[in-house]
Amino acid sequence: MDTHTDEHALNKGNLAVKVDDLTVAYNYKPVLWDIDLEIPEGVLMAIVGPNGAGKSTLIKAILGILKPIAGSVSIYGKPYHKQRSLVAYVPQKGSVDWDFPTTALDVVMMGTYGSLGWIKRPGVNEKKAALEALEKVGMLAFKSRQISQLSGGQQQRIFLARALVQEASIYFMDEPFQGVDATTEIAIINILKELRKAGKTVVVVHHDLQTVPEYFDWVTFLNVKKIATGPVMDIYNDDNLTKTYGINYKVSVQK
Amino acid sequence: MNSAQFEIQLIASLVAIACAIPGTFLVLRKMAMISDAISHSILPGIVVGFFITQDLNSPWLILLAAFTGVITVALVERIQKTGLVKEDTAIGLVFPALFSIGVIMIAKNANDVHLDVDAVLLGELAFAPFDRLTVAGTDIGPKSLWVIGIILMITISLLIAFFKELKISTFDPGLSASLGFSPLIMHYGLMTVSSVTTVGAFDAVGAILVVALMIAPAASAYLLTTDLKKMLGLAVFFGVFSAITGYWVAHWLDASIAGSITTMLGVLFLFVYLLAPSKGLIAVMYRDKQQRIEVSLLTFLLHLKNHTEERERHVNHLNEHINWQKVKSETVLDLALKNNMIIINNKIVSLTEKGNAFTSQAIDYIITNEDAQIEDMKDDFFLFRG
Repeated sequence: MDTHTDEHALNKGNLAVKVDDLTVAYNYKPVLWDIDLEIPEGVLMAIVGPNGAGKSTLIKAILGILKPIAGSVSIYGKPYHKQRSLVAYVPQKGSVDWDFPTTALDVVMMGTYGSLGWIKRPGVNEKKAALEALEKVGMLAFKSRQISQLSGGQQQRIFLARALVQEASIYFMDEPFQGVDATTEIAIINILKELRKAGKTVVVVHHDLQTVPEYFDWVTFLNVKKIATGPVMDIYNDDNLTKTYGINYKVSVQK
Repeated sequence: MNSAQFEIQLIASLVAIACAIPGTFLVLRKMAMISDAISHSILPGIVVGFFITQDLNSPWLILLAAFTGVITVALVERIQKTGLVKEDTAIGLVFPALFSIGVIMIAKNANDVHLDVDAVLLGELAFAPFDRLTVAGTDIGPKSLWVIGIILMITISLLIAFFKELKISTFDPGLSASLGFSPLIMHYGLMTVSSVTTVGAFDAVGAILVVALMIAPAASAYLLTTDLKKMLGLAVFFGVFSAITGYWVAHWLDASIAGSITTMLGVLFLFVYLLAPSKGLIAVMYRDKQQRIEVSLLTFLLHLKNHTEERERHVNHLNEHINWQKVKSETVLDLALKNNMIIINNKIVSLTEKGNAFTSQAIDYIITNEDAQIEDMKDDFFLFRG
């Protein structure tokens, strides 16, 4: 990695996430191969790469949802299971059953379960926090709606509200822009930028290469192996895109 | 009603409640068939347990048999994880194998064991009051009542304690894992409760009714509510309702109690399936018809907006021009008139101001790919629906 990146990371202070020699395999076939990754505190980072590059797998392995066959992950210097309260996770929208009998408010409340721990039930404070998060994503009017009666964009906002309610330091989001309308996309990215302004670290699996320079300040190129990671303005270029996607990529990066 | 009749209904109702609670989560986790697998594959566990304890209501037998149920689930997952077959195939492979072992064990030892395959499949609820539990010489009620009563108390305590964990691990296993509520622990916890309940209920109602009591009440409740707690409540209510009405149907027909309760569950589901207010078949068909007419109405209004020439807007020419049958064009014309969207002068149809506003807004939504908004708009414009 070039020295500029290291300086930048130093300027940002602490390392939020550190991944060492991480290898994950499904049925003996590696989907992530020897990943070393450092995510500085306070960046808004995109993970980009082609389908099957292991983007979601990387997040799931960091969060301990998948067990790696080698390597380690630390969140602010400690293993994930000791730092759960610092981390919020937004899974892919398609990973849950939206016909589940529950309301928008109830789904957002689930974000508070982590701080409650086992057995304890959400009370007035948790409900208040959930309502505030709903308001932040502009979904307060829909709080009592059954979740199947929400549009794709509204469902994504509910997921975002659920992450906000966790009041974490690091947010991992798996394709939050998938299947949402333009208005929702802008609403979501504005909230992510606010999080960064508040000193939070946000890591997003992202598909739309056009919007990377506009939305993010940090980027990781991934295709089974890590291709590059660093500030968008330094490393978001045709060379890295071609290395990642395997074909001749030409993007015009506005600096 | 004598005391034996009362006891049978009480046992049936407690079994129904004990089944409805795990059943609700099995239905939501799309694991209904697992209950079928458990109910059959616990048979060898029951037979072995019976050899050891000589008592169908012994807690050891229940635990041993329930353990067979959990092993079934683990085996199914093991086979599925190889990636060679899908989950339903894995279930179809595991439980008949275990069940048949149980059947052979019963047949080989038929002389010493008071167990037969009929009783295993259909239960002997009618005989439940005869097997009494006595403590220090005092009769304190039928054994099966105590067994299922205790299982029910445990199930309810676990439900209350772990309701939030059950909910989150059922709805979103990924989030659940990231928050530290292991979906694996919840999964096996639920499987253990389902297995214990199945074994406890099995003696009274048999393997087939156990499955029906787990799945049918929950499936009926699912069609009626969008709230998990209400779904649990309704499932419990439906289970108890079928247990009691089923008992009296059996009494009246002089037929098998287990069979009658299962029939009532089926009838109940059929009713709910047809009549549920929003998800029921009739409601869905009605909404489809309404949608079709309203889409036709919109098509018709768009046609009027696009064509100024009178030839295109003559009442009698609608059939030929938009290629509709007479009945349909009359329905659509009628609906448009009732909603003040059009006026007819000398058989020439024109849009009213309101019709024009509605159409323009609908076009905007269609162009911007927000067709869903048209539904909300209908509430503002329509006095009568299609």
